[in-house]
Amino acid sequence: MAGLWGNIDYAAFVVLFCIGLYIIIAKQNLIKKLLGLNIMETAVFAFIVTSGMVDGGTAPIVGAGATGPFASPLPHALILTGIVVAVSITALALSLIIEIYRQCGTIEADELKGAE
Amino acid sequence: MVHWLPLAAFVPLVAGALTPALAHGRPGLARGWALAVTAFCIFATAALTRRVALEGPFSYAMGGWAAPWGIELRFDEFSAAALFICVIMLLVLCFSGPYVRRAVPAARITWYYSLLLVNLGGMIGFVVTADLFNLFVFMELVAVSGYALVAVGGGRTAALAAFKYLMAGAVSSALILFCIGVLYALTGSLNMADVALRLATVESRAPVLLALAGMTAGFLVKAGLFPVHVWLPDAHAIAPTPINAVSSALLVKLGIIGLLRIFPLFGAAGVVSLAPLYEALAWLGAISILAGAFFALFQQDIKLMLAYSTISNIGYIVLGLGLAGELAVTGASIHVLNHALIKAALFLAAGAMIHQSGYRTLHDLRGIGRVMPWTTLALLVGALSIVGLPPTAGFLGKWYIALGALEAGRPGFAVAVLGGALLIFIYFARMLNAFYFRAPSHEEMLAVREAPASMLGPVLLLAALCVLGGLFGRWPVLLIAPGVSRLVGGG
Repeated sequence: MAGLWGNIDYAAFVVLFCIGLYIIIAKQNLIKKLLGLNIMETAVFAFIVTSGMVDGGTAPIVGAGATGPFASPLPHALILTGIVVAVSITALALSLIIEIYRQCGTIEADELKGAE
Repeated sequence: MVHWLPLAAFVPLVAGALTPALAHGRPGLARGWALAVTAFCIFATAALTRRVALEGPFSYAMGGWAAPWGIELRFDEFSAAALFICVIMLLVLCFSGPYVRRAVPAARITWYYSLLLVNLGGMIGFVVTADLFNLFVFMELVAVSGYALVAVGGGRTAALAAFKYLMAGAVSSALILFCIGVLYALTGSLNMADVALRLATVESRAPVLLALAGMTAGFLVKAGLFPVHVWLPDAHAIAPTPINAVSSALLVKLGIIGLLRIFPLFGAAGVVSLAPLYEALAWLGAISILAGAFFALFQQDIKLMLAYSTISNIGYIVLGLGLAGELAVTGASIHVLNHALIKAALFLAAGAMIHQSGYRTLHDLRGIGRVMPWTTLALLVGALSIVGLPPTAGFLGKWYIALGALEAGRPGFAVAVLGGALLIFIYFARMLNAFYFRAPSHEEMLAVREAPASMLGPVLLLAALCVLGGLFGRWPVLLIAPGVSRLVGGG
C-alpha cells in the first residue's frame, strides 16, 4: 500500500488512461471518441515526463554554478516528439470527421452503422 | 559505404515530403519520382542485405553518438525484410499508375505518391531501428500515412473506415508508448540491447510483466490478429486496391516484426518467464487461422475475402512465434516475407480485375478467366500459394510451422495448420469455379480487355515470385537462420 501511495502520480495516470479508453469504447459521438483518445495520450505523456523527475533535482543546464542532482531531460525531449505525433493524429482525425459528416450527415457511430 | 543504412530510411521520408513541391504544376512527375526513390531504396537495402548475409548484423550510430546514449540503427537478419518491402512497394507504385487515375481524385494523386513514400520510409526505419522510442516514431509515420491512404480514394464510407482504423491504431500506439515509458522508467535506457541488459537487474516483476503484456497486445492489434482485427476488413475493402496490397502485405507485418524486436528484451533478462505468453500466442494464432479462413468462406466481395485470409495468415505467423521452437519460428519469419509476396500478388491481381471490369464480387466476376487470362492465372497462382501447395512460397512457412508443432509435441496445432489450409482451399475452389467454369453474369464481361502492361507486369512478376519463393526457399531460410537461433536461444 505504501508503494502505491509513494507512486500516487503513476496510479493517477493509469486511471486517466482507463478513462480515455472507456470514452473511446463507450461513447458514440466521434468527436467524443477523439477526446477520449487525447485523454489517453495525455496520460501517457504525463507518465513519461514525470519519470524524468529526480528528488530535489534542478534543471539540467550546464554552466557556472551548476550543481547536481539534475532532473533527466530525455523524457521531455521524447514527449515533445510524442506531442507532435498526437497533434497530427488529432488533425487528421478531425478532418476525417468533417468528411464523414459531409458524406453521411451524422457523426454518431450508431447512426453511421445504418448508413454503411 | 557506411551511410547506406540511414539513407535507406531517410531518403524516402525526405523525398515523400518534397513530392508535393516537386510535382506542383507537373502532376505527371509524382509517379516517376516515387519510382526512382524506391529503386534507390531497393539498391540500398540489397547492398545492406548482402552485407548482413556475409558479415552478420551491423550497427550505425546516428550522428556519431555511440549507443547506448546515441540512437542506434541496427541491420540484422530480420531487417532483410526491408528489401522485400522495397520490391513490393516498387511493384505497387508501378501498378498504381493506371489504377489511381480512375480511383483517386486528380487533385489527390500527388499526395497519394507522397504518402506512399513516407509510408515506405517509415517501414524501412521500423525494421532497422534499435531504439525503442525510434520504433514508436517510425511506427507512427507508417500509421498516420496509412490512415490517410485509406481515405485517399474518397467516397461514402472511406473516411469512416479510415477513422475506425485510426482509432484502433492510435489506441494501440498509445499503449505501446506507455509500455516504452514503463521500460524507460525501469531501466533508464531506450536502446534495445541496453534495455535487455539492464532489465536483468530489475527487482520488481509486476511492471516488467505490464510492459510485456501491453506491448504484445498493442502489436497484435497492429497485426490484425483475431479477435482484435475489427478495423482490418473495413479498411481493406474500401481503400484503393494498391493500398490494400501495401497494408495487407506489409503494414500488418510490422506488428509481427515489432514482436520479434521486443521478445528478446524480456527473454534475455530472465526476470519474467515468456512461456505463458507463448502458450497464449499459440492459442490465439490457432483460433485466428480458423476464424479468418472461416469468415473468408462467406465473403462475396473478393477484396473482403482476401482481407479475412490475411487475418488467417497472421494467425499462422503468431502460432509459429508462440510455438517458440527453432523450426516454428523459422516458419513464422519465412511466412512474414512470403505472405507479403503472395498477398501483394493476390490484391494486385484482384485490383486489375476490378479496374478492368468494374465489378468486385465473385458473382459479378464470373467468366473473367476467359477475357483476362493472364491476370486470372496470376490470381490463381497466388491462391495456390496461399493454400500452401508445394512448390509455392506459401508451402514453406506452413510446412515449417506444422513441423514445429509436431516437434513441440503439440499435434493439435498441426491439425489447425492443415485445417486452415483446407478451408482456404475451399474458397480457392470457389474462385476457380467462378472465374473459369461459370457463364458470365453480365453481358459486358465479354468486352472486358486484359489489363495494360504497367498493371499486368507487376502482377505477373509477383505471381512468378510466389513460385520462385518456394523453389528457392532455402536462401531466405539460410539468411535468417542466425537471427532465429539467437531469438530462440535467448528466449
